[in-house]
Amino acid sequence: MVEEPTGEAPDGAAPLTLSAPERKLLESLRERADPPWEEAELSEHTGVPIETVRGSLQRLRSKHLAVVDEEHEERPRLTPRGETAFRDGLPERRFLRLLAETAGPLSPEAAAAGFDEEERSAAIGLLRRRGFLEPGVPFRLRADAPASTGPFPEEKVLQSIGGGDPEVDDTVLQALKKRGLVAVDRRSIKRWGSSEEGRRLPLAPDGGETLGSLTPTILSSGVWEKTPFRPYDVRAEVPFLRGAKPHPYLAWVEEFEEILLGLGFEQGEGPLLETEFWNGDVLFMPQDHPARTVHDVLHVEGVVGHPPPAELLERVAAVHEGRPMPGERSSITPGWRTPYDRAFAAHPVLRSQTTAVSARFLSTHPRPPFRMFCIDRNFRRDPVDSTHHVEFGQCEGILGEEGVNLRHLVGMFRALTEAIGVKELKFRPSYFPFTEPSIEGYIRHPRLGWIEVFPGGLFRPEVLAPLGIDVPVAAWGIGVTRLAMVALGVNDIRDLFLDDLDRLTGGSA
Amino acid sequence: MPQSVLSRARVLSMLPREPTEAELQEWLFGSKAELASATAEELQIEVTPDRLDLLSEGGLAQFLQGVSGSARGLPKIATRPSEPGWTVRVDPSVAPLRPSLSAVVLSAPPSAPLDAGLLAEAVRFQEILHATIGLGRRLASLGIYPIERLHPPFVYAMEPVGSVHFVPLDGDAQVSASAFLSSHPLAQRYGAFGCADGRMLTLRDGDGLLLSVPPILNTRDGGEARVGDRTLLLESTGTRPGRVAEGVGLLQLPFLARGWSASPVRVEYSDRSEDGRALVESRPLDLPAAKLSAVSGRAHSAAEVEHLLARARLGSHPHPHGWTVDVPPWRPDLMTDIDVVEDVVLARGVKAGDGELPPSRTRGQRRPESRFRRRIASALLGLGYVPLYTPVLVSEEAVRLLGRTDCVALVNPVSDQFARMRDSLQLALTQVLGRNLRRGYPQRFSEVGPVVVRDPAAESGARTSYHAGAFLASEAAGFADAAALTEYLLSGFDAHGVREPVDLPGTIPGRAARLRVAGETVAEMGELHPAVLSSLGVPVAVAWAEVDLTALWPLVRRGSA
Repeated sequence: MVEEPTGEAPDGAAPLTLSAPERKLLESLRERADPPWEEAELSEHTGVPIETVRGSLQRLRSKHLAVVDEEHEERPRLTPRGETAFRDGLPERRFLRLLAETAGPLSPEAAAAGFDEEERSAAIGLLRRRGFLEPGVPFRLRADAPASTGPFPEEKVLQSIGGGDPEVDDTVLQALKKRGLVAVDRRSIKRWGSSEEGRRLPLAPDGGETLGSLTPTILSSGVWEKTPFRPYDVRAEVPFLRGAKPHPYLAWVEEFEEILLGLGFEQGEGPLLETEFWNGDVLFMPQDHPARTVHDVLHVEGVVGHPPPAELLERVAAVHEGRPMPGERSSITPGWRTPYDRAFAAHPVLRSQTTAVSARFLSTHPRPPFRMFCIDRNFRRDPVDSTHHVEFGQCEGILGEEGVNLRHLVGMFRALTEAIGVKELKFRPSYFPFTEPSIEGYIRHPRLGWIEVFPGGLFRPEVLAPLGIDVPVAAWGIGVTRLAMVALGVNDIRDLFLDDLDRLTGGSA
Repeated sequence: MPQSVLSRARVLSMLPREPTEAELQEWLFGSKAELASATAEELQIEVTPDRLDLLSEGGLAQFLQGVSGSARGLPKIATRPSEPGWTVRVDPSVAPLRPSLSAVVLSAPPSAPLDAGLLAEAVRFQEILHATIGLGRRLASLGIYPIERLHPPFVYAMEPVGSVHFVPLDGDAQVSASAFLSSHPLAQRYGAFGCADGRMLTLRDGDGLLLSVPPILNTRDGGEARVGDRTLLLESTGTRPGRVAEGVGLLQLPFLARGWSASPVRVEYSDRSEDGRALVESRPLDLPAAKLSAVSGRAHSAAEVEHLLARARLGSHPHPHGWTVDVPPWRPDLMTDIDVVEDVVLARGVKAGDGELPPSRTRGQRRPESRFRRRIASALLGLGYVPLYTPVLVSEEAVRLLGRTDCVALVNPVSDQFARMRDSLQLALTQVLGRNLRRGYPQRFSEVGPVVVRDPAAESGARTSYHAGAFLASEAAGFADAAALTEYLLSGFDAHGVREPVDLPGTIPGRAARLRVAGETVAEMGELHPAVLSSLGVPVAVAWAEVDLTALWPLVRRGSA
């Protein structure tokens, strides 16, 4: 026994099922293409009641199996009053007959007999307009009344309609319609045929069954080998699916990371809450640098930080003060000519640049050659608007080995430019407290023009020497937030933190 | 970036011909200055913080002379011998507040005394220096005085406020210093940098005439430079010797560029004295040829280097291993040889075609812990949890709602919305819940991201940990969903823990747990409290699970690395 299809396929796909009448009708439609079928004709041919025929044909049409041509036809018929007039004559004809039968004028009382009020008024008005009656009452025929008393146009039309001929003068027809003697029936004539799909649709042998959902029973019984599957309406609406998918910004970051991994960079990481030492001092930023004030850097309350390892602290202090580092005989720099504040170095601050991660990485004394990257969040005291956010992403990268120079940094920027699918790149001088030389790379975006993307340089000796690094190190801190906005076509930085589940699970996030 | 509006006519008057707009743009693109906008009268210039000299008309013109070829090498610094008495004595009383002072005297060329244009340029540049190297006058402030109407030597000291009376530069009548300090707008902004314990900073001449009350304002009698003046005293007071020297070195630039000459001013401290010569002379910096090549990655001929140095308006003298470079006093950014290397490299210009990708002798790799986090994120995605990226900074309101009051608070937040550092992803995810009320349920979303947790042992007093947090919001959501999710995530790393009941912020008592693996707490979970849900308008139950991946990692790394 074949399982009856439930009408619903798994996952909501609509099965293309045919009821018995639909199938019968489709077979008839396929038998004869021309002339097309009228519904009544189909009903007679198939023995399916006309009402069922109509419904089934519509369903075949919605399944794209049948096509229809539709015409509208108007057909006049006599109303009950029109039937009376057809049989007994129009009121005006009957009034004329009455006048003719009456010798002399006809009193209003005599004229009332045999007519209802409406008919009589209409008849008298019409006869007067046509010159049959003298004005006033009693009613009398005018001496010069038209000689011909042949049929009025209304009588001709009435006769035609009564005799089953619909081809009549339209003006007269409308007049009779207005007098309630004639009505017009509208009807549509549908002529049906099979669509191309209807002709191609495989139908099981007469009376045979078809398979709906492929159930475990059908699968295991092997019945599917002999029984055809009922086709599905592949155009039917299906449910709109939503699902979890990668966050656009995180996905973009991951792609960018892959580029750097491919260039031989290992991933680094550092704390979001840093100390002033790692966020600035070790990077040779003077402790009173304008970018280190409470106007730019975020500070925390009730958290106590600790100084870095004493040896490193003393080396950094010496460089800031322009003294030789412990164990060295000469100073490498005039420094900032101001006392270094060791207590300040331990103050916690929110990391404002991922360069702090590079400094921490270098403090582990990596063996050259080394390459490290870190894409992570930083914090600055920027009021939030469409282009600024208190949290922003940076891609830090450092490249250290004997012989590294500015051309290698430029080469790395060129490789990144090519990797993101941009061709044009140019450079101009820039400034960062911890790199010298410092440059800024601009790429040409097809829509936005030249945009600043690649800031970088070579770490200053004042950064490297205290950390014990004796090879040159090229470094950059790319504003990935901006780059991601450009790549993702996002105009508002806040959209990178998109948390609208509709957009994230729909098709357009 | 520091910026200023310069007089186009004053800049171009120092060039032999007016450059086209395109030339100007191109020349400035190769510099640390940028043309933000231009009109027939004005040039709006932005510079990097190390090249403030380019924010004066004189400084910018000298640079343009170099790149256009109309003048090369170190601009001439005309000097004159000091006259007897051109000395400032720094009284020890200033030491606690503002101990440093630098000064020079500037003399006009015979035919061109101070004119209105130069005075305006100098005053505008002075304000830029106040804002930048002076950090709003806190670290350094500058003054310009008509030394020809004064009687050196000068004394810089602290005096009792009650003993000081003067006519402010912008006033007509004599006022007491106490009235000035309480009412003058500049005193209200900068008074704290120059007053302490009923005393204030003063600069007087040898006759006791008050020149100024640093760092607030000059006086009318002793501190008003006027058109027609021929000799001016420039001084700077501040907290650091480097800053005040930088200030004076820069402020004399507009004058020197117009042919004025400089004379050193001796500064006498109680324990030492400085002759001030460094401020009026170029100083030598060594440029080793080997270092230049090592940094630029190119071989340079001697002629090329000397040409580029001259273009950058620096003087140079060759020696067997490189050059001695003459650096003018308005270039404090040139501290060591590497800074001169930069000037040479940038004077040549950096081109994309110069780039050379060094052969990779390293292997790119993610941190093992990062790979572990990615696996967790993938597992959540596979379960249909929408991944999110939310700010680490959360609102005060979110903290209050969940009662997570232990999370670190900012001293200077930009707004209440970003006032705390989240110590749990629950804080951020709850806000997401509240922003998605119009979407149907169930909702599943998650984040794998950092939190900041107080930790006295951490170097900054708080450690950054990575958590995986997930919310399931649905009519049938409950504790079991959270617990099952946690176990699922851990099972991928063959980690199995023990749940124990605990009260957790924002959850229903009796329906929250922590999960321990090998004695370490690695996860928390529970049902969100209806008070939280109703406050947000969430109509369904919410199960929350959060795994501390940083705590879990050491326990599972052997099997995952």
